[in-house]
Amino acid sequence: MYIELKNVNKKYGDFKASDNVSFSIEKGKLIGLLGPSGSGKTTILRMIAGLEKPDSGQIIIDGKVVNDVPASKRGIGFVFQSYALFRYMTVFENVAFGLRVQKADKKTIAPRVRELIKLVGLEGFEDRYPSQLSGGQRQRVAFARALAPNPQVLLLDEPFAAIDAKVRQELRSWLKEMIAKLGVTSIFVTHDQDEAIEVADEIIVTNSGRIEQAGTPIDVYQNPKTAFTSAFFGQTAQLESYEAFKSFQEVGDYDKAIVRPEFIKITKKNEVQKYKSSAVEGIVERVAFRGNYIEFTVKCNGSVFTDRRELDQEPVSVGEVVDVFIYRIFVTKGNEVRLVENSALREESVVI
Amino acid sequence: MAQSAGGQVVSREGTGQIHENTRGSKAVKLLLIGLSVVFLVIMLVLPLITVITESLKKGFAEYAASVTDEDTKSAVQLTLQATVFAVVINTVFGLCAAWAVTRFHFRGKKLLVTLIDLPVTVSPIIAGLIYVLTFGRQSAIFPFLEEHGLEVVYAVPGIILATVFVTFPFISRELIPVLETIGTDEEEAAAMMGAGGFTIFRRITFPHIRWALLYGVVLCAARAMGEFGAVSVLSGHLRGKTVTLPLHVEILFGDNKFMPAFAVSSILVVFAVIILIVRSVVEYIGRVKKNVH
Repeated sequence: MYIELKNVNKKYGDFKASDNVSFSIEKGKLIGLLGPSGSGKTTILRMIAGLEKPDSGQIIIDGKVVNDVPASKRGIGFVFQSYALFRYMTVFENVAFGLRVQKADKKTIAPRVRELIKLVGLEGFEDRYPSQLSGGQRQRVAFARALAPNPQVLLLDEPFAAIDAKVRQELRSWLKEMIAKLGVTSIFVTHDQDEAIEVADEIIVTNSGRIEQAGTPIDVYQNPKTAFTSAFFGQTAQLESYEAFKSFQEVGDYDKAIVRPEFIKITKKNEVQKYKSSAVEGIVERVAFRGNYIEFTVKCNGSVFTDRRELDQEPVSVGEVVDVFIYRIFVTKGNEVRLVENSALREESVVI
Repeated sequence: MAQSAGGQVVSREGTGQIHENTRGSKAVKLLLIGLSVVFLVIMLVLPLITVITESLKKGFAEYAASVTDEDTKSAVQLTLQATVFAVVINTVFGLCAAWAVTRFHFRGKKLLVTLIDLPVTVSPIIAGLIYVLTFGRQSAIFPFLEEHGLEVVYAVPGIILATVFVTFPFISRELIPVLETIGTDEEEAAAMMGAGGFTIFRRITFPHIRWALLYGVVLCAARAMGEFGAVSVLSGHLRGKTVTLPLHVEILFGDNKFMPAFAVSSILVVFAVIILIVRSVVEYIGRVKKNVH
């Protein structure tokens, strides 16, 4: 393991920013620290960087406990959410700064800076000041600047938050490619699940100072281990009571029943529905055009579900009665979660 | 930075709007401008003209004689000395205080900020009296000072002390808002790359605050030169020794030597004009630089 956190705690006054945080990261991986705002993800990042000191616990990088190593000696590149570019320096000087303070050989600085500026695709912008760049360009400068001293670890705090949606999409793939190419162990913080799923090799889910779950995006998404993770991904719906839906096994006492969008199938009365006998009727409440698809909500047994229809499908209209079939449900109790399958699915397999 | 420039544009448009929308405001406009001009003429221009005409009344030779008089020379010297001390000490203090207040969390921070403002609210005479009581004969530490040959009251150190006291908010007050606005991100970024404290200050923080600092220095110098109250209490009016320019003017005036009093005043006027010019230049350059970055 390249980076390891062992039982790390951090408090700001009475607020527990990190509550017994432990995880480990392999060398060369791109990790997404995912959680809602205030969940302590930035605190974790800043502690790894050395910008904050943990109250207790160990932070280990490359086999060495670095708790008492100052930020400047940890060999970490940090990309700030605001980029924190040096406003009074040109792009070239920004990228060169790290090399200059480390007293790198003067002859090597210029070629290295040019190489990085070329890498991030900003040739010709060397003499501009940060205020003369667009958001995406600034982010690239921040990235190049963090990489200039050849860090072993790259940390990125909400790297795409300040960029408009279209550029963000481009930058995501660009960053993923770039990091894969360089092979630098990287951790980025985000509150956007789509971003984490798309960019990260592994996701660490944080919530109120604790680590909820860690794993590959597929694993975390499909096999949530905690109530929080099960509800965090996707546009989930909560069922008032799942017993009202047909052919689900009794699970005893529970807190919440959570349904992901891909767990439901909603069909019009005249359409084929494989499990029609186990489906429940619902009424279309709202229909909204979303460009390349139509989004609609259905009220059914007191719960509201959102689903999509393609443009070439027969449209649904408000007030229409439709069939709702639920494949599976996450049932939570405390912070435990269980996946309950609709027994209609099992009967089917038995028949086959 | 762009915000401030934008703000100016908006306010300019805003005033234009008022003029167009409120018809008949021309009279109001003229009235307000007229009032300001009349006020300035009575309060500022007339006295200035008086100073200059009075000081040159008996001819240039007399004027030159008053200005180059030994006592005057020593007063100019002492005033400049006190000003230089005040500027240097307050620059160091202002930087430290502004840094502490904006970069660290600690108990009593609000109290510290309030205390920094104290000299603006306390009458300088009272400040002078406090120093007389603290360092004078009746003070508990006076024997200690005497033993080490340190004269404060009725001596040059007292004058410097009083000047420093009345001017100490000027520089930190200019720096605190600027340091607050720029935040700590750039400094942290530099620290992450291995820059030491001094390098961070010199290469990252200083470029942000240099115009505010210079502006603070100008204000501090202006105030230091004109200081009368606190200095008056601590000086003891020993001619040629502890008399600054403003005190010298007062003494001459008290002796009914009106022409020399005005002549010496004109020196302060010249200093004031120099400071005004420096201030305008600093403000102008600061604004231009801000718009570039």
